[in-house]
Amino acid sequence: MQASGSMSVMTGDLAHSDLSAPPVLDLCGVTLQYKTRESLVTAAYRISFQALPGDRTILLGPSGCGKSTLLKAIGGYLQPVEGQILFRGKPIKRPAPDRVMVFQEFDQLFPWKTVKENITMPLRVARGISQREAEERALDYIDRVRLTKFRDSYPYMLSGGMKQRVAIARALAIEPDILLMDEPFAALDALTRRQMQEELLELWAAIRCNMVFVTHSIDEAILVGSRIVVLSPHPGRVRAELNCSKFDFGSETDPEFSELKTKIHTMLFGAV
Amino acid sequence: MASASASALIDRPEIENALGEVGGIGDVARRLTLWERISQSPVVRRIVVLMIFALLWEGAARWSDNPLLFPSLTDTIVALWDATLNGTLPARVATSLEVLLLGYSLALVIAMLLTIMAVSSAFGADVLTTLTSMFNPLPALAILPLALLWLGIGIPGLILVMVQSVVWTVAINTFVGFQSVPATLRMAGQNFGFSGLGYIFRILIPAAFPFILTGLKIGWAHAWRTLIGAELVFGVASRSGGLGWYIYENRAALETANVFAGLLAVIAIGFTVENLLFRTIEARTIRRWGIVS
Repeated sequence: MQASGSMSVMTGDLAHSDLSAPPVLDLCGVTLQYKTRESLVTAAYRISFQALPGDRTILLGPSGCGKSTLLKAIGGYLQPVEGQILFRGKPIKRPAPDRVMVFQEFDQLFPWKTVKENITMPLRVARGISQREAEERALDYIDRVRLTKFRDSYPYMLSGGMKQRVAIARALAIEPDILLMDEPFAALDALTRRQMQEELLELWAAIRCNMVFVTHSIDEAILVGSRIVVLSPHPGRVRAELNCSKFDFGSETDPEFSELKTKIHTMLFGAV
Repeated sequence: MASASASALIDRPEIENALGEVGGIGDVARRLTLWERISQSPVVRRIVVLMIFALLWEGAARWSDNPLLFPSLTDTIVALWDATLNGTLPARVATSLEVLLLGYSLALVIAMLLTIMAVSSAFGADVLTTLTSMFNPLPALAILPLALLWLGIGIPGLILVMVQSVVWTVAINTFVGFQSVPATLRMAGQNFGFSGLGYIFRILIPAAFPFILTGLKIGWAHAWRTLIGAELVFGVASRSGGLGWYIYENRAALETANVFAGLLAVIAIGFTVENLLFRTIEARTIRRWGIVS
């Protein structure tokens, strides 16, 4: 099959990920389409990139670049019309607990279950473990997202940020091979969002699972990710792959940080 | 212009207040007095309304002084008490409830099959929505003549009428409930490996429960009203006849206090199921989960 036709130019420093290891995710020439009531929309066109073990891959782009659709395809909710998505070397057929998704919407929690049950019920089905074991693990992850006081509350009693913490704890408790996050903090206020990003990185440092994180915020991409796949819109194509693992919350005043920010901004929206 | 407004901003002094005591207004939250709480309780207020009506009834009946047409409240209560004690009324209530439960549960089974059909194919969904929009506006009592014709006088005819009164509401509410389950919730369920019956019973049904419960409630109300109406027409189909027949019989015998007692029994049973049974289910499920639709 022909590649997209454009020449890839390697620039910048190398990611710190293990280059010799086989990729966790391998997308080759993936085109995604979905139907609305009126038309057939091409959301992503011939996307290719790899996620290596330990990567925090960011799919970054403005609305309409197909980043969420792409993540749904990795989740197994959507099949590519062209190309293929290999997960650990095998094509993705359907959703499965080795690829757990955290959504932007707060209604992803089961409203009829308490915080603890929201974690234990999926955990038991996904991993087939005993109720006691599931509860132990659930309480551990509830502690880690600092919701111990709310473990017996129902989701409607929680704030937006707390609901997203529960969703993250639920996903992590399943101990998936790869964590898929679809703009999980986009519906939160700026202060909560900032705090959640820091907490996510702390959690990640303890667990170090693979992660694909979708966002339209350049700042969030640089802070949370280790490698950014920049997508341009209508239809979504890979504009660039950039490394950003050296930046953290302390480096926001770093000139290199704002340089990278400007670079991405220029890629997406043209010169400022 | 710009410099003038800028300097006006600069000229204003900054203010910082130390937050003092607020003792002047007392506690920030103060518990209401006992009387204030009682007078705000809906139960107490309804009891007051009921008592006013009881007094009006009693007064009007004594003033008109015609127990054949309009018995007083005390006569009615005495009739109700006697009929309960000598066992006639409980037997009639039992007959009615038995038929009701039979018809209601048969309707639920049929509704479940219709809903499964509707969720499993687009054609099934079209069948359900078309049939519902046809048959739902049709009062169940309107098919009584047909029921008499096909099944004769007896319990099967009553059941046919009751099924017609319940099945469409329950099926369409459940179906709409399933359709309104948020996509995110469905995707989350699939993600964790729920599928088949587990997916339906552990994800779809609880998520659609506000709709399902609404369907069950409306279905119950239809069934109860339809049954009493049908019994008035069907008369004594089984061993003793039901509550509707009791009312009809006593009207024929000009035992008007007993007619009123029968009506009170109909109200009492309807009220108990709708306000106690379904309220309790609601309080333990959707209110507790905060998903009241």
